[in-house]
Amino acid sequence: MNDQPTPVNCQEAADRLYEYLDGELTPEIELAVRAHIAKCAPCFKRFDFEETFLRFLAARIRSQGAPPELKRRILESLFSDSDLPERE
Amino acid sequence: MSQSHDERRRGFEREALPHLDAVYRVALRLSGDPAQAEDLAQETMLKAFRSWHQYQQGTNARAWLLTILRHTFINAYRQKKNRPASVDLSEIEEFTVFHDVQDTDPEGTFFDQIIDDEVLRAIDSLPDEFRETVVLSDVESLSYAEIAEVTGVPVGTVKSRLYRGRQILQRQLYEYAVEMGYLRRSAT
Ligand SMILES: [Zn+2]
Repeated sequence: MNDQPTPVNCQEAADRLYEYLDGELTPEIELAVRAHIAKCAPCFKRFDFEETFLRFLAARIRSQGAPPELKRRILESLFSDSDLPERE
Repeated sequence: MSQSHDERRRGFEREALPHLDAVYRVALRLSGDPAQAEDLAQETMLKAFRSWHQYQQGTNARAWLLTILRHTFINAYRQKKNRPASVDLSEIEEFTVFHDVQDTDPEGTFFDQIIDDEVLRAIDSLPDEFRETVVLSDVESLSYAEIAEVTGVPVGTVKSRLYRGRQILQRQLYEYAVEMGYLRRSAT
């Protein structure tokens, strides 16, 4: 079996930028993109920048949770809700 | 087969309630208002509880809840608010932020100086379809397939919305960073 992935060029790599960073590619294409950015400095820099951006976003906005008061209110409304399924 | 109220509540508490944080966070970003987000989250959870018999045990409870949230938001809230789409979409197709910073700050260190509130403000200013896609992906880490399920569009549409939404967001944050003097505007 041939282990070498079908090579991708800069444009093809760029088209899969976020799919690559989001882990949405098939293993073969992921391998091909990884091989490209490993040897292409401009693409490597772009991917690195975008990865930094996504990590930054995740760190800043994922922390917030529902207020405890809201959770209590919801639990209460479930307790008191009637047993009838909703009618459309 | 009918379940008792207690059984239903236990199942719901076990499988749905752990996703309340996600429901609230998405509600907050969809509505842009904490009080409205609480109402939306509560309404969503109550609707979900009442239609709990329609939920297939063991399937994706989070995506199911977020789908209910999205419908609730669209039906009840979207008309009431008027959030102007202030972003020029044509501009972002030309150059990426990376193109602007590749000589001055290719590693994106300027991002670190941007305060959380500014990030949220930038997200909140995205046009609806980009905002919901970015929030589901970058706030809640849903897969493209899950986002497609929740928003009712093909995966290809999710991809393009995510690309454009993230690029618009980057552009806004870049402009903010330049304005604040964290970064000088590139000459290119
Ligand atoms: Zn390249």
